[in-house]
Amino acid sequence: MTQTINEAPTQAGAATGRPRPGVTGGPRAAVGTRFKDLLAALPWIGPAILLIFGVVLFPAVVMFYNSTRDISISGLDKGSVGFENYQTLFEFAPLGGIMVRTIVWVVAVVSITVILSLALAQLLNKAFPGRQLVRMAVIVPWAASVVMTTLVVYYGLEGFIGIINKFLVDINLIDEPYGWTKNAVSAFNWAIAIAVFVSLPFTTYTILAGLQTVPGDALEAAKMDGAGPARTYFNIVLPQLRAAISVAVLINIINVFNSLPILSVMTGSIPGYDADTIMTMIFKYIQTEHKIDVASALSVIAFLIVIVIVAVYVKLVKPMKEV
Amino acid sequence: MTAVVPAREAVRPRKRRYTTDQVSGGSVALRMVAGFVVFVIFIIPYLIMFFGSLKTKAEILSVEPTYFPTEFRLDNYLNMWSAPETPLVQNLISTIVISVFATLLVLFIALPAAYYTARFRFPGRMAFLFLVIVTQMLQPAVLTSGLFRQFSVLGIGDTWLAMILINAAFNLAFATWIMHSFFAGVPREVDEAAQIDGAGRLTVLFRINLPLVWPGIVTAIVFTFVACWNEFAASLVILSTAGNQPLSVALTKFVGQYSTSWHYVFGVSIVAIIPVILLFMLIEKRLVSGLTAGSVK
Amino acid sequence: MKKSMRMGGIVATAALATLSLASCGFGGGEAGGSSGSGTTLNLLVPTYSDTTQGLWEGVIKDFEAENEDITVKLETQSWDNLNDVVTTKIQANKAPDIMNGGPFAGFASDELLYPIEEVVSADTLADFQESFVDASSVDGVQYGAPLIASARALFVNEDLLAQAGVAAVPTTWDELLEAAKKISALGGGVAGYGMPLGSEEAQGESAIWFYGSGGGFGDADAITIDTPENLTAAQFMQKMVTEGATQPDAGATNRSPLIEVFVQGKIGMVIGLPPTVGQIEDGNPELNYSINPIPTQDGSAFTLGVADHLMAFKNDDKKKEAITKFLDFFYSPDQYVNWVTTEKFLPTTKSGADALSGEEDLKPFLSALPDAKFYPSTNAKWAATDAAFKSLVGQLAQGKDAKAVLTEIQAKVDAG
Repeated sequence: MTQTINEAPTQAGAATGRPRPGVTGGPRAAVGTRFKDLLAALPWIGPAILLIFGVVLFPAVVMFYNSTRDISISGLDKGSVGFENYQTLFEFAPLGGIMVRTIVWVVAVVSITVILSLALAQLLNKAFPGRQLVRMAVIVPWAASVVMTTLVVYYGLEGFIGIINKFLVDINLIDEPYGWTKNAVSAFNWAIAIAVFVSLPFTTYTILAGLQTVPGDALEAAKMDGAGPARTYFNIVLPQLRAAISVAVLINIINVFNSLPILSVMTGSIPGYDADTIMTMIFKYIQTEHKIDVASALSVIAFLIVIVIVAVYVKLVKPMKEV
Repeated sequence: MTAVVPAREAVRPRKRRYTTDQVSGGSVALRMVAGFVVFVIFIIPYLIMFFGSLKTKAEILSVEPTYFPTEFRLDNYLNMWSAPETPLVQNLISTIVISVFATLLVLFIALPAAYYTARFRFPGRMAFLFLVIVTQMLQPAVLTSGLFRQFSVLGIGDTWLAMILINAAFNLAFATWIMHSFFAGVPREVDEAAQIDGAGRLTVLFRINLPLVWPGIVTAIVFTFVACWNEFAASLVILSTAGNQPLSVALTKFVGQYSTSWHYVFGVSIVAIIPVILLFMLIEKRLVSGLTAGSVK
Repeated sequence: MKKSMRMGGIVATAALATLSLASCGFGGGEAGGSSGSGTTLNLLVPTYSDTTQGLWEGVIKDFEAENEDITVKLETQSWDNLNDVVTTKIQANKAPDIMNGGPFAGFASDELLYPIEEVVSADTLADFQESFVDASSVDGVQYGAPLIASARALFVNEDLLAQAGVAAVPTTWDELLEAAKKISALGGGVAGYGMPLGSEEAQGESAIWFYGSGGGFGDADAITIDTPENLTAAQFMQKMVTEGATQPDAGATNRSPLIEVFVQGKIGMVIGLPPTVGQIEDGNPELNYSINPIPTQDGSAFTLGVADHLMAFKNDDKKKEAITKFLDFFYSPDQYVNWVTTEKFLPTTKSGADALSGEEDLKPFLSALPDAKFYPSTNAKWAATDAAFKSLVGQLAQGKDAKAVLTEIQAKVDAG
């Protein structure tokens, strides 16, 4: 795998395997030393590679392998079917809608999360009595598992026994309890709301951290130029937050794309495929239809999609700087 | 694609911060109101959970739902430990053991990798960092069948060790990224000066770098710990003995075929949240500066 | 550009590695084992109620006391997770030795199971009630040891019925519709008939209606969903919904929470099963209710019977003797009757039925059993049928054309 990467050291010297003391720039390392550099790196990165290969590689290969097999509902491998499982998927009419919904899901959750986090970080960055308490509260959804948070909201939205439903009735927002989790559109929207809710702590704290780095002199300069708060924010603060936001977005994209529990709890009882995303569909193939082979094929597709999304994102946004 | 841009903070003298602006009393009041609203929104689901955990089974399933328990059944918190469905005490111990050791393992493995990839250029560096990020993109629900097979062949299926390894492997990525970006933020000159003084590479790492990137390590620890604490998909199939299972799996035992013991589900959830909240409280300050680091330009 | 090409390279390499590994294959892994001189049996069971774990632990303790060379390792899972766990185990060649589950046709057709006569004594075999033996057999070979049975019946809230001025418990669909509408009209969040078409148990409620019009799901040879009889039933179900006789969002309402609502007196009529009696005792003993035959289109008697089974997996012939010992021990009246009564189900053995014949609560169900229809669960396509109902039939309540829903389900079944 390493041979596929031909990376020219851009900052030789310190950047090559052995930093020569005192030398901060220099000629490109000779080919012979490249192997030595790799050897020198092994003790440092070896354990990580070992752990990843030792634990992750086999199951990942099984996933690819299973996607080309015919696996019975009891889990028995009946032999190879080539790409038939993929064909089954492509002939599955609702797949188009499922793909679109997956994109809507990721884009909606990530963008709403970022916008709310920006506002929230702005607030938490200002001094006011009780700020410490609010900061702690914002962290709670992070500490709680996603499943628990989802379950409690699901329970609250239940038509007969739900407290949130009762509250909405009590404040006259709705006339009678509504089956929020029983209709595709409302269940999907609530799922988005929960996903945003549980993504806020991490994103907010990352942006909050970024805010600490906005240089005070730049702000004062802006003030002296007579810039209003809005212009200061957009011209000075926001650009400064770019790095923080782009990393947070990347991590959120991966997590939100792969998130299963929220949608499967919130939309699980809805018939048809009108509220499904790729992840819940994988889950349905495993849980309801017991088709591990097709589920694996869809997982492979999901995996490729997220790699492409991340690659495009990294290419366009460059969230991480090269060393 | 790797390095989050460094935090100079650790080594730079503190500058005036964006926070210190003078404001009128009115806008402080406004902030307090906004802060209060935020506080309420973030706390409500967990209040529902908490009050739910104090209700009787009948009340929590009542079609005339109550906001607060009509009688506070604090004994739910005592009784659940001896609930017939699952040995909760052992489940709690399992969760703690697995999370603590997996976090330590991640730390010991990710730290050197993060340090080296941030400091040195070597062939395959990008491939390595890409490999790490790929582990985050795999969907755990589908991987479990391979994981189960692998660990039963190795003869450590249904053991804590298996779950420690799995949790460590799948959380390596995040920890590596975060620490990588912190190490990248420490000016190279610091290392070089130390090396001129004759310090070995390990000395440079532990004596010179670690104190500077401490916030990054704290952040990585928190992330890993929380993820391990809540892991579900792999534990479900790998751990078959009730006593070995973590709380996340134990919770599902309260879901019966015909009825769910919601009061226990909520009670266990609260018990599971508290240690993590305490951890956060201890390190909240470091967390802010920790997360910061990654993103400073 | 350069970077993305590099990534492409990595993906390609990974894919190649996968293909080459795949061609080597990696079947195998050894069968789970007998350790030392003693034998270990792995027992995988789902959770019926909060007493299940304790009940099995009791059985195992007694069994191990009598058979010191056999250790039984118990694993309980929620029904939700049971199937996931067992398929994973089978893929890894680590099937449990004994499992408690529902449909077993898939396991049987994969030749994973012992015929039940090989793993129980002749006495135990003869003790199973005949009606369950058929439903436990594939092509004349019995693979499942029926563990528990349940039958459905109409639970009626007598107080609501009286308030709504309905004189008699309905026995036909038309009467049911009228009665349910009257009860719904009482208002205050009360629903006339509880129709759970959510994914949890959609196939059960559908069967109640489909068989009730003389239709059904088919038999061991063919699954027939898209039939005129079933269409009549599906259209009547829609009528129940559109005329307001049911609870809101019937298409996405799961059974367990719905029965809970009935227990609390907010639903006039609902199809329940033996454990519902226990739930009422626990949750709302004051409920004034009755248990009645299920209304059908023409009023003829019918109930849906369901049996769960114990099945024994062929892992290691050396374990056969131990499995036989355990199953015989479990089905001995001392153990079995206690197990079944505690879980509040119906017995599947003759001796069990004799022992429980005096139980008042079970009478309505026991008397309905002779007319019971069973799911065609020995049909190889049953799993697909079950899945199709769970994910599709709820659309009836959302106004989708009844014919289209049936066609969609049939197509899903035929596709396997």
